[in-house]
Amino acid sequence: MEAIGAGLAIGFGVIGPGIGIGILTGASSEAIGRNPDAGGAIRTNMILGAALAEGLGILSFVLGILLWTRIGG
Amino acid sequence: MELLFPHGFKYPPDFHIPSPTGEELFKIGPVGYTNAHLTMALVIVLLGSVAILATRNMRERPGGLQNFIELLVQGLSDFVESIGGKKALPYLPLFGTLFLFIVVSNWLSVVPFVGQVTFLHSPTADYHTNFAMAALAFFAYQTEGFRHLRLSYPKRWFNFSGFKDGPAIGVIFVLVGFIELFSELFRMLTLTLRLWGNVFGGEIMLVVMSGLLLIPGIALPFVGLEVFIGLVQGLVFALLVLMYFILAIESHDEEHEEGSHTDTDRVPSPEIHARPANAA
Repeated sequence: MEAIGAGLAIGFGVIGPGIGIGILTGASSEAIGRNPDAGGAIRTNMILGAALAEGLGILSFVLGILLWTRIGG
Repeated sequence: MELLFPHGFKYPPDFHIPSPTGEELFKIGPVGYTNAHLTMALVIVLLGSVAILATRNMRERPGGLQNFIELLVQGLSDFVESIGGKKALPYLPLFGTLFLFIVVSNWLSVVPFVGQVTFLHSPTADYHTNFAMAALAFFAYQTEGFRHLRLSYPKRWFNFSGFKDGPAIGVIFVLVGFIELFSELFRMLTLTLRLWGNVFGGEIMLVVMSGLLLIPGIALPFVGLEVFIGLVQGLVFALLVLMYFILAIESHDEEHEEGSHTDTDRVPSPEIHARPANAA
């Protein structure tokens, strides 16, 4: 049961950050394409936003690891 | 077949998953000294000796190592200035130290044997190290906030100034302050877990991939991916700490109008310059 839970936690948990980072990267690529001069600032903000979105996925990863240590893997 | 698999063929193989924390080597009093501590000391000695070697006999026309280090420091300095302007430059030492230490630690986690033998364990793959760095950054930026804004610093969490515009706005401001206060605490947690999850997850991925792909060396692209992720995560950790510093020393009040605009706002437009000249 813990094994299923760990798999589900990671699997479902990374859906949201995946969508978020996809939208973020697409939008900032478009922005850099329109205004290449502002590329540096946009890229910095993109990395920051991607890190913040990714943090949520990492939380589910941590939950998965916690469950995995319970099954003694 | 005998030569390739001396212990018999088994698929999938038994993975030696690295431990999520450092393992204790010996005890100093009640405190355990882990293999992560030992590797951290190695990283510090490495970075320190490179710094000493590069600056031992500095010359006007730098060559070799000094040139490389100057390039690195100048790059980091320019980066910090492009993020927060001149007022962010005092935080360059902390930013650069965190960045270099984390990046070197992250890259150690893809070096063979680190994380697999008993006395080597990448420091950032142990969440205690990351929590120590996050907590240090937390206290440092809170102190900087209090030092710059004095007693008006906590006003961003306990903001009652909205009540003069009516009770509804006042309640909203108080609630926003509570959210800010809790996000301060969550910053420490997410800083810790983001770095640890990425590095530790990367280690697991490398172990599993090289186990599943059977042929040695075919998992090399994943090593490249991990090197890239290590660089990005080091940058993200240091950059987030820098952003927290900039947010902490920035006032939310009226002096926002004069002092703390970004550089692009301060560039004078030609019309404003032209008008006094015409008037004179």
